Amino acid sequence: MVADSSIVEFLHSRAMSRIVVRDLTKVYGDLPVIDPLSLTIEPGSFVSIIGPSGCGKTTLMRIVAGLEPASGGMVQLDDATPAEARSRKRVAMVPQQPGLLPWRTVHANARLLLDVNTAANPPDATDPMALLEEVGLGDFLDAYPHELSGGMQQRVALVRALALHAPLLVMDEPFAALDEITRAEMRVILARLVEGRGATVLFITHSISEAVALSDRVLVSSTRPSRMVADIAIDLPRPRSADVEDDPRFVALCADVRHALQAGRA
Amino acid sequence: MNRRIIAPVIGIVAFLGLWELIVRATDVRPFILRAPSRIVSYLLDNAGDYARAAWVTGMHALGGLLIALVVALAVGSLMAASSFLEHATQPVLILLQVTPFVAYIASVVLWLGSGTPPVLFITGLVCMPAFAFATVDGMRGADPAARELLASVDASRWEVLWRLRLPSSLPSLFTAARYNVGLALIAAYLVEGGNFANEGLGNIGRRAAALNEGDALWAAVFAMALLGTCFLLLISAVQRMVLHWHVSQRPPRPNWG
Repeated sequence: MVADSSIVEFLHSRAMSRIVVRDLTKVYGDLPVIDPLSLTIEPGSFVSIIGPSGCGKTTLMRIVAGLEPASGGMVQLDDATPAEARSRKRVAMVPQQPGLLPWRTVHANARLLLDVNTAANPPDATDPMALLEEVGLGDFLDAYPHELSGGMQQRVALVRALALHAPLLVMDEPFAALDEITRAEMRVILARLVEGRGATVLFITHSISEAVALSDRVLVSSTRPSRMVADIAIDLPRPRSADVEDDPRFVALCADVRHALQAGRA
Repeated sequence: MNRRIIAPVIGIVAFLGLWELIVRATDVRPFILRAPSRIVSYLLDNAGDYARAAWVTGMHALGGLLIALVVALAVGSLMAASSFLEHATQPVLILLQVTPFVAYIASVVLWLGSGTPPVLFITGLVCMPAFAFATVDGMRGADPAARELLASVDASRWEVLWRLRLPSSLPSLFTAARYNVGLALIAAYLVEGGNFANEGLGNIGRRAAALNEGDALWAAVFAMALLGTCFLLLISAVQRMVLHWHVSQRPPRPNWG
């Protein structure tokens, strides 16, 4: 599918976000969730964080998105704190559950984030119609969420986030609840939508192949308290299609991630 | 005609038929139990009076329900927003629910005078708690993923209330409305009977009871039952329109996987 050239141009024009995390810690009561963590994420890069369940990666994402305060250290999104970025709608979230409102149509759901806190909408905010068509939901604009499959619902959630034109996208295991076939489909759709868009993406996942197929860089977290045990550059060529998984380098990179995960458990 | 209409009609006809049969077969005296055929024929003979009275009572009940709903939405929103307010308000609402309102009808009539005001006041008062609890339940049950999402773009409290919490409470509000219909009609009937306003089915019922006019009293009871049925049908129709997106409004369908 060829995207409308004006859309591509427009997406390219968006600012990107550099994420700087310095000495970040988080404790719940006596329970340390994140050990002092420092990392820099280059603007426009797609970075996955992979780690075992309950390792604190969701907490890290919530702190970056400004939904939870850190216990120590600092997080900077360009020149803003997460809370400032949040109130300026500079962070777009795709949660694990699609979180669609059942009384809104597909089109209205895709608009949801533009309909609130409207003062912070980007001046060039446009209707998500074109994006919905691009992900194959053009015939479902007036459908309600219960009429959609799980994969279609998650595509609406994806469009809802992209429609914000935010320089930072954070995704918390967005495809975890989907079946394997649909996940593979979603991977391709996401790669296509994000490539050339310029946004920085922070992607949290449990899936090694998902992380490698999508990312420029994979950070491997240990068990709780979260510590990054490996930082693996994924130098596979872009644009990436589903065939990237047949590339021998892909297989080798997956093995690297797997070994790092094993090391992080020990 | 489909089964959803036929089955209830058969149920009611069977109930009335059994009642009629018992009255005719046994020699039960009319002031204890009279045949439904006799009640219905009295009701039809005086259809105009009963229709006018039923309209008044219906409006009283509807007015009370709407007042209760509006107050409950405000109270419920505050309760959902603050657990201190919730804990402070809960016992008062429960007191309202369990106290027999019949006991204070006379006081309210003395306070607000005769006519419509005391009817609306008491009807609204007794229906309010169920609506308030339904509002709190519905708002608390709002999808956590959607709440997080709205928080991620710094939606205001008002926006969250309007875009997420209120619509989320609609299903439980409809459940409360079904429960409240009976309560509203009973309250309207009893306050009409006790407020010297000379209107409504409650007034007909009170006079008939005082004068030992069994047919008139039972006709009022039947009229109330009809009125209640109309209310429930009306609520079902509104519910189908408003909640078309909700799981309760969908016919079961095969799951193709």
